Amino acid sequence: MRDRRTTAILSALLAASLAAFAGPVPAQADPTEPNQVQGLTVAQGDGYATLAWTPVDGATDYQIERTPVAADDTATGPAVITGVWRPNRQINNSSPTFADAGFNPGARFQWRVRARFGTTAEAYSAPVAGTTRAPWGDPAVPGENLRTQWETTLAAQYTSDVNEYAYTAAVDELSDRVRVTEIGRTALGRPINMFVIGYPTPPATPAAVAATSPLMVNCNVHGNEPGDREACLIMARQLAFSNDPRTLDLLSHTTVLIVPTINGDGRAANTRGNSTGQDLNRDYSLIRQPETFALVRMLRDYRPVAGYDGHEFGNSSAGDLPMLPPRHQNVAQSIFDESQHMIEGHMYSQGAKDGWWPCPYGCNGGGNVGLSEETILRNTLGLKNVVNSLLELRSSGGTTRPDEGNTANNRRRKTFSALWTFQQFLDYHRANLKEITSARADAITFQVSNTGRIVFRGSRPIPAYPSPHPGEAPPPLDAPRDGQVLDQAPCAYKLTEEQYNGERTDGPAGQRTTVAQRLAAHGHKVVKVADGYVVPLAQPERGLIPLLLDGQAVEKLVDAERVYPTVTGERSGQLVVSGVTCLRDATVTGPVRVRAGGTLIATGSSITGPVDAGGAAGVFLTDTAVEGPVRVAQSSGPVVIVDATVTGPVDVSGNRGDAPLVAANTVTGPLSCGGNTQAPDNLGLSNSVEGPKSGQCASL
Amino acid sequence: MSGPLCDLLPSGSDPGNPAALAGQPAEAALQWLPVLTTFEAAVRASGMSADLHDGSGVTILAPTDDAFAAKFSEDDLDHLLVADKDKLRGLLREHLVAGSLSLADLVAAGTVTTLAGTTVTVTGGGATARLADQADTVCADYQVAGARIHIINHVLGSLPTTGGEGGHRAH
Ligand SMILES: [Zn+2]
Repeated sequence: MRDRRTTAILSALLAASLAAFAGPVPAQADPTEPNQVQGLTVAQGDGYATLAWTPVDGATDYQIERTPVAADDTATGPAVITGVWRPNRQINNSSPTFADAGFNPGARFQWRVRARFGTTAEAYSAPVAGTTRAPWGDPAVPGENLRTQWETTLAAQYTSDVNEYAYTAAVDELSDRVRVTEIGRTALGRPINMFVIGYPTPPATPAAVAATSPLMVNCNVHGNEPGDREACLIMARQLAFSNDPRTLDLLSHTTVLIVPTINGDGRAANTRGNSTGQDLNRDYSLIRQPETFALVRMLRDYRPVAGYDGHEFGNSSAGDLPMLPPRHQNVAQSIFDESQHMIEGHMYSQGAKDGWWPCPYGCNGGGNVGLSEETILRNTLGLKNVVNSLLELRSSGGTTRPDEGNTANNRRRKTFSALWTFQQFLDYHRANLKEITSARADAITFQVSNTGRIVFRGSRPIPAYPSPHPGEAPPPLDAPRDGQVLDQAPCAYKLTEEQYNGERTDGPAGQRTTVAQRLAAHGHKVVKVADGYVVPLAQPERGLIPLLLDGQAVEKLVDAERVYPTVTGERSGQLVVSGVTCLRDATVTGPVRVRAGGTLIATGSSITGPVDAGGAAGVFLTDTAVEGPVRVAQSSGPVVIVDATVTGPVDVSGNRGDAPLVAANTVTGPLSCGGNTQAPDNLGLSNSVEGPKSGQCASL
Repeated sequence: MSGPLCDLLPSGSDPGNPAALAGQPAEAALQWLPVLTTFEAAVRASGMSADLHDGSGVTILAPTDDAFAAKFSEDDLDHLLVADKDKLRGLLREHLVAGSLSLADLVAAGTVTTLAGTTVTVTGGGATARLADQADTVCADYQVAGARIHIINHVLGSLPTTGGEGGHRAH
């Protein structure tokens, strides 16, 4: 648990950085009244102002007062209590901060803060004044001067689909850093666009983007929760045109993927679901809908290593920014841990610094939310080995932001809190890329090994953060219930022709896809055999596959046949594979020969002798040691060699299926690849090869 | 303009201020009132925009987003907007009255009949009025082209209540 270990260090750093804060001179009250707040400062962010002060011993809470003022600091309107700081806001009560937001950016204000003891209000601090940061971008500089409909209408209107497309096209045209690509269309035919942003230009192909360990923000899946989407559109402009060193540094090291509106039909109709009424955030595993299908296919091709998924939350007593990692128990531990670290180790600490209130989803009286449905993007991403978090924006102002009866104020607070989060997410990715990619590598090698039980539904616990908590309550335990655990994982699932290629009845009429198309969109490896289709679990999305194909799964695609290992334990002599042979924890003394049309799936095994597959239907060799050469040639189907230890040479050539996966192997001899229809890939997990790497595997 | 919510809506020279809406058709004006996103979406979904500027004028009793959230669960609201358009049109007619009536006109009339045929009592006076003994006008007397918009805090009609506090939808 990287998150908890580093908290103390981060807190110490935070205290040091606050002590060294070189912003406005703190306000001095003279003479001091009893229990009067001292040391009030204000620092401006994008759409918010961070107030910080010295705590008053024994205070119950604090009220933040804001007054609009002219340039000479005379009041131009009434003073209003805009915020209430409570101890459950942040993890270090020794340095209280509050992100005041909701105002029209660019206006000038004066702030004061007072402590309360129970209901007794103490004296206000001396005031601090400041001009808030104007909407990002110089109005005189092309590109920078673009504004969304939401910005130009002062948040009276959300950005329409038409305005989004125009704005997006303008950003695309005016910035070399941006390529806007259409990743699919909604059920009603609206384009689903994605910003692909890199510096000086984004890599040209999805595979080239994938090589930069990109990160993704999914901004608007529920059409009636538009706050994050407005933040995404503003952030796209900042990334496209800002020349500050931070932005250039970020974009020089990765590629940012922003999907502003996956649910354009629902956004236009102001509905949660899409035009068929389907909640798209209950469809990311099943991908019955064109919108979710498009996003999942994009994930396969662009391979983001980290993600955020934006929402709004109706619980008025939650924090500003409820967050949650992928909890499904089939998600690799390393992905869960790293996601938790992003939330607790980074967002909680940065929130305490900037005055925002991230908290565990649920947070206060949250009810039965934040569970293990793999249909939810948070969990789907985790099962795809992507470090990620849900983001909620508390819908209403609630008791801690009492000045949001004005809808524009409410909308601005939500959007700028999302913008803060997404920018923090970029910083986290930049600073922790090594940890993220190593968590991903651990997850992939774990998944391909096909070890451990399968859980159909059930979450990892989210323990309460050590006191002081951000919020009161983490989400429910959600442990797996009876009948939702499979202790002996199968080796593979086998589908009939009808199951695999048959017409479906789910999804919108005229746009329905087959299981074959959906598994392909997920990037799952499928072996065509004589009497059906075999989906081995020895592949990177092992945790997701049973949720789609097992009869016991809660929301499955089909009830496919479980295929169990055929070879376990000790075995001597040559092993000839002609049908589907599955080795698990086997020790084979002797050569393994896969005949034309045969399928070998080996996990956790050791083979003393060469492995030779010529014209196989599929070869899966994971978490397995082989003494002797490994040759996989002329296969008609998938080749997966991951986390294998080979004493001797490895040759992968002339295979005709999708890109062979050759990753995280240890090879004492040479690794040579040639003539494969699609060049082998390593998913970013390099092989340790003593001999030379050559041909199509030269850079793996 | 009258009612407690008016101060919290676009005013002065802000985009969407009442004077700026004066000449606009009702369905366009609705898009500027940030508390009416559900009602505005319902008008579009129902295909009833034209009914909002009938030649002889119309009175629009528009429930706020909060009122819709209190009345309908999110699922039911989605179903109304996406699937059950007949029921949606019936619901909207409960909020439309023939003739462009000011708040004072409504109060003076004492009762009005909606396009759905329901008789609605109007009581009170001054800055707000109470409709059907359950809905208050919270910002009344937006004058738009051929119509008056009165924002109300409760959904009218006889559909069952399925919304309310506590049922936080998970993400
Ligand atoms: Zn949501």
